[in-house]
Amino acid sequence: MMDRLAYLWPEIALFIAACVVMVVGISPSVATRKFAAVVAGLGVVAAGILAWTTTPSGNAVTASSGQVLLPGLALYAKVGIAIVALLLLLLKPGTVDRAEEAAIALGVQKFDALRTNRAEFFSFFLFSVMGLMLVAGADDLIWLFLALELTSLPTYIMVAISGGAGREPAARAQEASVKYFFLGALGAAVFLYGFAMLYGATGSTNLNAIHLSLTTGGVSGLALAGLLMSVLGICFKIAAVPMHFYTPDVYQGASPSVAGFLAFVPKTAGFLSLLLLASAVGWTWAPGENGLTVSGGGTSLPEPLRILFWVIAALTMTIGNVLALQQKSVRRILAYSSIAHSGYMLVGLIAGPGDGSFTKNGVAAVLFYLFCYGVMNVGTFAVLSGLERKTRDGQMSEIDSIEDIRGLCATHPRLGWPMAICSLSLLGFPPLLGFWAKLPLFTSAISAGEIILVIVLGLNSAIAAFYYLRLFGAVFLEKPEAGAGEVTASPFVSRRVAAMVSAALVVALVVVVGQLTDASRKAAAPKAEPAASATIPASMNH
Amino acid sequence: MGFMMTLSTILATLASPIAALAQSEAAHAASQEAGHAAEHVAHAAEKIEAIAAPGVGPMWLLLIPVLPLVGFVLSALCAAFRVKSKLPAWLTVLCLGASFAVTLGMYLQVSSGQIANPSVATGFEWIKVAWGAGDAHSIIANFGLYIDSLTCLWMLFVTGLATLIGLYASEYMAGDVGAGYCRFYAAFNLFVFSMSCLVMGDNLLLLYLGWEGVGLCSYLLIGYFYKKPSAVEAGKKAFIVNRIGDLGLALGLMLTAVHFGSIEYSVIFAKAQPYLAALSEGRLGDIPAVVQLIPVLLMIGAFGKSAQLPLYVWLPDAMEGPTPVSALIHAATMVTAGVYLVARAYPLFLLSETALPIVAWTGALTALLAATIGMAQFDIKRIMAYSTVSQLGYMFAGLGVLTSTGAAFHVFTHAFFKAMLFLSCGAVMHGFAGQLDLRKLSGVGSMPGWRVVGIAMLVGCLNLAGFPVITSGYWSKDMILGGAFANPHMVAIGWILLITAGLTAYYTFRVYFRVFVGPKYFEPGDEVHGHAGDDHGHDHGHDHAHADHGDRGHGHDAHAHFHPHAPGWAINTVLAILAVAAFAVIGLRFVGGHEGWVSGLIEHSSANYGGHAMYAAAASHGGEHAHATFFGYDAHQAMMYVSGVVGFIGIAVAFVLHYAGRTTAAKSRADALLPLVGPLAKWAQGKWYVDELYNAIIRVPLLVAAHVFHLIDKAIVDGIVDLFGWVPKFTGSSLRPSQSGVLHGYALSMAGGLAVLVLIVVMVMR
Repeated sequence: MMDRLAYLWPEIALFIAACVVMVVGISPSVATRKFAAVVAGLGVVAAGILAWTTTPSGNAVTASSGQVLLPGLALYAKVGIAIVALLLLLLKPGTVDRAEEAAIALGVQKFDALRTNRAEFFSFFLFSVMGLMLVAGADDLIWLFLALELTSLPTYIMVAISGGAGREPAARAQEASVKYFFLGALGAAVFLYGFAMLYGATGSTNLNAIHLSLTTGGVSGLALAGLLMSVLGICFKIAAVPMHFYTPDVYQGASPSVAGFLAFVPKTAGFLSLLLLASAVGWTWAPGENGLTVSGGGTSLPEPLRILFWVIAALTMTIGNVLALQQKSVRRILAYSSIAHSGYMLVGLIAGPGDGSFTKNGVAAVLFYLFCYGVMNVGTFAVLSGLERKTRDGQMSEIDSIEDIRGLCATHPRLGWPMAICSLSLLGFPPLLGFWAKLPLFTSAISAGEIILVIVLGLNSAIAAFYYLRLFGAVFLEKPEAGAGEVTASPFVSRRVAAMVSAALVVALVVVVGQLTDASRKAAAPKAEPAASATIPASMNH
Repeated sequence: MGFMMTLSTILATLASPIAALAQSEAAHAASQEAGHAAEHVAHAAEKIEAIAAPGVGPMWLLLIPVLPLVGFVLSALCAAFRVKSKLPAWLTVLCLGASFAVTLGMYLQVSSGQIANPSVATGFEWIKVAWGAGDAHSIIANFGLYIDSLTCLWMLFVTGLATLIGLYASEYMAGDVGAGYCRFYAAFNLFVFSMSCLVMGDNLLLLYLGWEGVGLCSYLLIGYFYKKPSAVEAGKKAFIVNRIGDLGLALGLMLTAVHFGSIEYSVIFAKAQPYLAALSEGRLGDIPAVVQLIPVLLMIGAFGKSAQLPLYVWLPDAMEGPTPVSALIHAATMVTAGVYLVARAYPLFLLSETALPIVAWTGALTALLAATIGMAQFDIKRIMAYSTVSQLGYMFAGLGVLTSTGAAFHVFTHAFFKAMLFLSCGAVMHGFAGQLDLRKLSGVGSMPGWRVVGIAMLVGCLNLAGFPVITSGYWSKDMILGGAFANPHMVAIGWILLITAGLTAYYTFRVYFRVFVGPKYFEPGDEVHGHAGDDHGHDHGHDHAHADHGDRGHGHDAHAHFHPHAPGWAINTVLAILAVAAFAVIGLRFVGGHEGWVSGLIEHSSANYGGHAMYAAAASHGGEHAHATFFGYDAHQAMMYVSGVVGFIGIAVAFVLHYAGRTTAAKSRADALLPLVGPLAKWAQGKWYVDELYNAIIRVPLLVAAHVFHLIDKAIVDGIVDLFGWVPKFTGSSLRPSQSGVLHGYALSMAGGLAVLVLIVVMVMR
């Protein structure tokens, strides 16, 4: 039990922080209440440091200390999650309780611990991140299910309370939350059903044991059905076809600060689970030339699963992109683009780990893309949450329409430039980070022989240029609207900081792309000596 | 007349040392003559080996590129905080000065052997592309520095001159204090950073980064006065012409990567070893054609950046930038990047039968062409620009005739005296409200407060003209001329260069005699100071409307009220330092190494001398190593006298035509000679109409093609693209109803989609 705990320190740190936040956040003193965000930040930082120092990886991973099939995954994912979560946290101040705090400051209203949402909001943020980290370390279907739900459940509430005081935004947020919750429950039911069938077929919920059973005994019909259902259910988390319908409504209904969170946290959880499932069923590892390579290529997913991923990937990116074309709401554009990005990443999943080198390793490409997407995505949502205008009932609300960001580089350069840089990066414009993220998806898919899919990917990247360049053009080229004065910068400085940090990272991380891709390659590598681990059979080619 | 007296006195007093020196040189040459070929072939192998294994350099060397980067960030911060003082200038001088100090430390440690020569200091892994296991399946480009004596030589004058010119510009750019000042210094620092990457990078990709970086900074600084159309045009021209060269460099880089499997110098040099061995045995056939193609491609890049035929046209126009920029980037440092590239990749150039002869011929012809244009111009800054093109031609010729020492020495001396000439011209321009026409200025050197400028200009002109013995320019030029005549295949080049030397002396002193001595007279320019005149319209008069007629300059008041303002301490200090330095570097000719300090440095670098001898041996097909003579005399020995005499004649002609008996600024005796040369003078003044030729054979056809393609594009391609664009849009709008926002609709769609997908899988598997 203790060695199990030994690699849960980051989650423990987040849990402690969440508990402290719940108490601090309902303090009658304003200063103490506002300290809740700082505590949450400290928790995330502590989790990141602990993840870096205590997470076992490579050969240090044992059957009782983590994901044996992808032994480097937990370290990479947890550190990356902590970094992006810290950026996401910068968006959060001011999302809830804004009107109440203003009223209290004016003395109009007394503080009422029952009516405040701050403590819940920040602790739910931490719980969700904690769930995400648990997903990264999962080695059991039950654990995986619980971790996935721990990631999602807090987000339903975060969406609901993020609407602010304005009647209209609040109603929209609540509607979004309800939709998100019911459809999420449907998705969860589907993959739980899949998990159950997998258990029925293999007799175990342990991923290593499932791997052993499937690779020695072959993939039975029941196991296959279980896999299909699991994948389709998890598609809800990554917002892929056919489970994508909720995305635009929810992203638009929630405040941008929460929508940015939704675009990264559940999506990452979904992709990590897909990687775990896929590694359990395919990609048989064996020692290669440099101890990190795989024999027999990486496309050893069972054919039905490969076809499923293929269809989902092609449909997801195409539908996401074409629907984004016609939107006027920036939030909806970003929601559809988030769908499309899931489609891109699925390509890496199909390509598989190749021979382990980065250019051919689709798994490493997915992991790298997740991190890059997290970084650049925060920037766009931070810009949206950093701007606001008055709604009809006199409350301030974050902007939504593309009209509102026209000429932003001129009017609010500190928000305009991040928007310009991040949208170019999301488009994959060289030499920005998004380009380096997309590149290995292409190369790995080509080396895996998925030429048609690569063409679809290329076409979709071109379609995406339409709306990303529209965003870029709106902030950079177009003149501000006549009524631009109505759009003002949000008083919460940290959102602006998040936008600028994100844009700076998009540029600066390019310098260390080599190190980052190396890290993701290590995260996608199997154990160096499979013989040392009894759970992994020797080379098996499908 | 007094001037003439001084000259002859100096000559007389120096007559005896020159004779003594020539004798010792002759003795040296004679001793070398014995067993020339055998000795060189024998030494070749061990000398090449010296390149092969780099040591590990200390990390503090990274400060050399990093400090200018810090300067860039600080200047950018100054811009962000809207600093309205000279703060960015002082920060820049501080950073660049510190960088120079570190460079000096690097040089001292390299020369004393504390840092291995060569050595590599690796900062961090920058780019690594691997497509398999092992080094054979990867391309690595580290942010690492390749330190050898060639690096030291280049960085010494790059950082040293950058510091001085940064100081000069603090005064020169004073009219723009504010946003423009910060922008200027930001680009200035970024330039020095890029230049250090270019010179110090341990691989071709880092060189390429620096190469593009200096190109960008050059573009930004040429177009510094971005409200002036001609400056914008000039910036664009420089950028576009350089693209052609850069394409060659990029192709060369890729071919290197493909053939040698690496772009790191140390690896390339090690892998070129067998080829060099084959070369020294005269087996040129064993060297693959691909290897021979690499230097030709690199050479195209070098010609673009260093303004050689046919890509030189951008450099004269680049004078639209502020003068400190012209001095630093377009005279002293950036334009020598091409020379550096050839010197750095010299082992590769030796491997090609054609590359070095092409380099030599291009250099010589560029030198001659630019000199003839320079003779007929009236804008003194533009004359200096053409002289830069011409002198760069000298350097390339030097490399081509296998005296890389001479070329590098000329780069070094030229950097100092040409920077000084530009800065002197800049001081004039600064003081006379943008006046640069030599017909409208006279006797500037004797005006009150202009003494330092006059002396600096004289020193610079003497150096450029190659005035015998007392000027460093004489010694470095002499080395190239001697090298050309000593090489039996390159005698024709020697003659071209010799003629050019005479022309150079003439046009240089034409400027000096007309502008700096003679009757005092001036007409102020019509521009705000610090703004380069746009094409100066000598043929058309100053009829152009100035785009920046603001209220912040002077010189707009009537002529009667105009007072030239003499340069202040910063400009004078810098000019004085450079004047001293221009003389001081003569000393370098006589210390360290058998042909001076520079040859000592060059011999221990990749541009090493052993390789040339080997190449020369191979070129004469292993037979007798012919050391060509100049009418029976040893070439080096003869050139000491001949080039001195030629330079002297050039100066004398300029004296007679432009000083003697001249009473006004506008007219001189040379005008009487104009009918004699017929249309030649007009053609030369029109720059031999090369720009017009390029316009006719390149730009016009391209424009026509562009219009044709535009029509095709509009009619056919756009139609297809619109169709493609319409498809996603149509798909989008037909899918939109699915996003109804109704909860149970979504749930139903999800379930339906799930069923359909499972069905698809089942169907496909059947």
